[in-house]
Amino acid sequence: MRTNWRQKIYHLILWLVSIFFFLPVVWIITGAFKTKDDLLAIPPKIIFSPTLANFTDLFARHDFLPSLRNSFLISALAVIVALVVAFLAAYSFSRFKPRGTDFLMFLLLTVRMVPAAAVVVPIFLMYTAFGWKDDFWGVMLFYAMFSIPFSVWILKGFIDGVSPRFDETGLVNGGSRMHVLFRVILPQVRPGLIAAFIFNLIFVWNEFLFNFIIGGKKTTMIPVTLVTGSLSQGGVDWNFVAALATVYLIPPFLAIYFFQKYLLVGMTFGTVRGEV
Amino acid sequence: MQNDTSTIQAVSGAQKGIGGRLRTWRMHWIDNSRYFPLMLLLPVLIFFLLWNIIPLLWMVGMSFYNYSLITGMPPRFIGLGNFLDLYDSYAVWGSLGKTFIFVFFAVGIETLLGMVLGILFWGSTHLPGRRLALTLLFSPMVLTPAATGTFFRLIYEPTFGIMNYLTTQIFGAKIDFLGNEFWALPAVLMVDIWMWTPFMILITLAALGSVPRAELEAAEVDRLPWLKRFWYVVLPHAKFILMLGIVLRTIDAFKVMDLIYQLTRGGPGNTTEVVGITLFRKAFEGFSMGWSSSLAVITLLIAIAFTSIFLFILNLRRRGAEN
Repeated sequence: MRTNWRQKIYHLILWLVSIFFFLPVVWIITGAFKTKDDLLAIPPKIIFSPTLANFTDLFARHDFLPSLRNSFLISALAVIVALVVAFLAAYSFSRFKPRGTDFLMFLLLTVRMVPAAAVVVPIFLMYTAFGWKDDFWGVMLFYAMFSIPFSVWILKGFIDGVSPRFDETGLVNGGSRMHVLFRVILPQVRPGLIAAFIFNLIFVWNEFLFNFIIGGKKTTMIPVTLVTGSLSQGGVDWNFVAALATVYLIPPFLAIYFFQKYLLVGMTFGTVRGEV
Repeated sequence: MQNDTSTIQAVSGAQKGIGGRLRTWRMHWIDNSRYFPLMLLLPVLIFFLLWNIIPLLWMVGMSFYNYSLITGMPPRFIGLGNFLDLYDSYAVWGSLGKTFIFVFFAVGIETLLGMVLGILFWGSTHLPGRRLALTLLFSPMVLTPAATGTFFRLIYEPTFGIMNYLTTQIFGAKIDFLGNEFWALPAVLMVDIWMWTPFMILITLAALGSVPRAELEAAEVDRLPWLKRFWYVVLPHAKFILMLGIVLRTIDAFKVMDLIYQLTRGGPGNTTEVVGITLFRKAFEGFSMGWSSSLAVITLLIAIAFTSIFLFILNLRRRGAEN
């Protein structure tokens, strides 16, 4: 009986910690359902009559739907391109170990470790010179490159875990190389593919700086809309910010609810495996 | 039967009809080609050349030039002038110093807090609604800094922010967190800690999970004191993952930019101006591309150093696993 009580209190503490970390987000989500006066009221209103006016305003804005569409299209396309390219490269790195494998893997990792502010300067110069700024394909392919290093690292780790005997068996039985790649190896690294897909999607979905610099009217994604909206002259429209932030955070939230077991692999470059 | 013949055909290279000829062609030019590994790599190499090598060379080249977008003058070669200017610049040393202070406190506090909470969550397997609880716990780290920065501007807002409501209730004073020279850095740090402590919890849980159950049970049977149990049983197994987590977090904290940009833009004054912000402002508010390229080269070198440390620990773990 006593241990039962202790366990209940322990569980209660764990829930409280979890909720504590979520409180700032809750504050924003409730803010999205408040009227302007309720949102800015002092003392803060815990109990209020919810309104959907902020969301109807949001959908009426001219910049919301395009940026939502851009966010979905650019992140999905970029990640798919990156995964195909990265899968081929990871297979080559893992099975053939061409000369310079270690160096290339190191370079790929470095790309992700450099502060974005340092990379954005040359990318900006290059995009201006080539005229790729605010071009859908230019921005999309940039994000594909943005997703490649992580995908190669994670997929190489998974392909290393598949025995080369599968390849040999496939080849001896008359399968082509492509058959081995896509019918033999691919199904076995599905967890890696899912993790790479979900987390790259989140990273691209979240990216702000590059979109701010090399994007434009035609390629604005949600974080940029959020930031520019929050910088408007003459007072910030906090209702708009709260409503847009609420819409924005639904996909990442769902992703880590449904793909929680990939969270560890996803957040550590595929270098730490295991479930939490 | 049919299966057998096709296998023999494939092995002997016998060909019949257009399909057979295609197959021989493929076998000769793709499957058995010496360059097959290279063919697989080609797409990545093209991407890499276009989006990394060219910009990198551009950046290194530009760092030797005086090039401002405002004057409209063509770039002028000044050799190491930019780097000498960086070396003399008070602002650069100041922002490097601030970056290291930020990294030190952020990573230190996150690691400590994350380890404590991670150990707390160790026995959470039977927690009712565990998946939802962990989703709530881990969500701060998958939200974009651009959005969390915006949230916290509302929360820290001096007139109607909830944070100031709390401070007036508890201490009877209002604090303009983001506008006050003393409070700006701690306020920014707090947001970073809120965002990334969950990551260190995740890492700690993974590290604890890597300890073999048998050894823990042996320690239990031996009634080893808790501190010793941690030191002699848990730590030798957990340390690699913990170190990887800390290095990753250090690198990410070093990269911090959009969060601070959104919260304070480096202000008030330049109290929260980390390297990322200096770079961004010089390049896109001051438009001096040559100067910021040279600073970018320096940060690139620092990042390469961090990456090497990360790989070193990764190899250490691999060797540790083999022994």
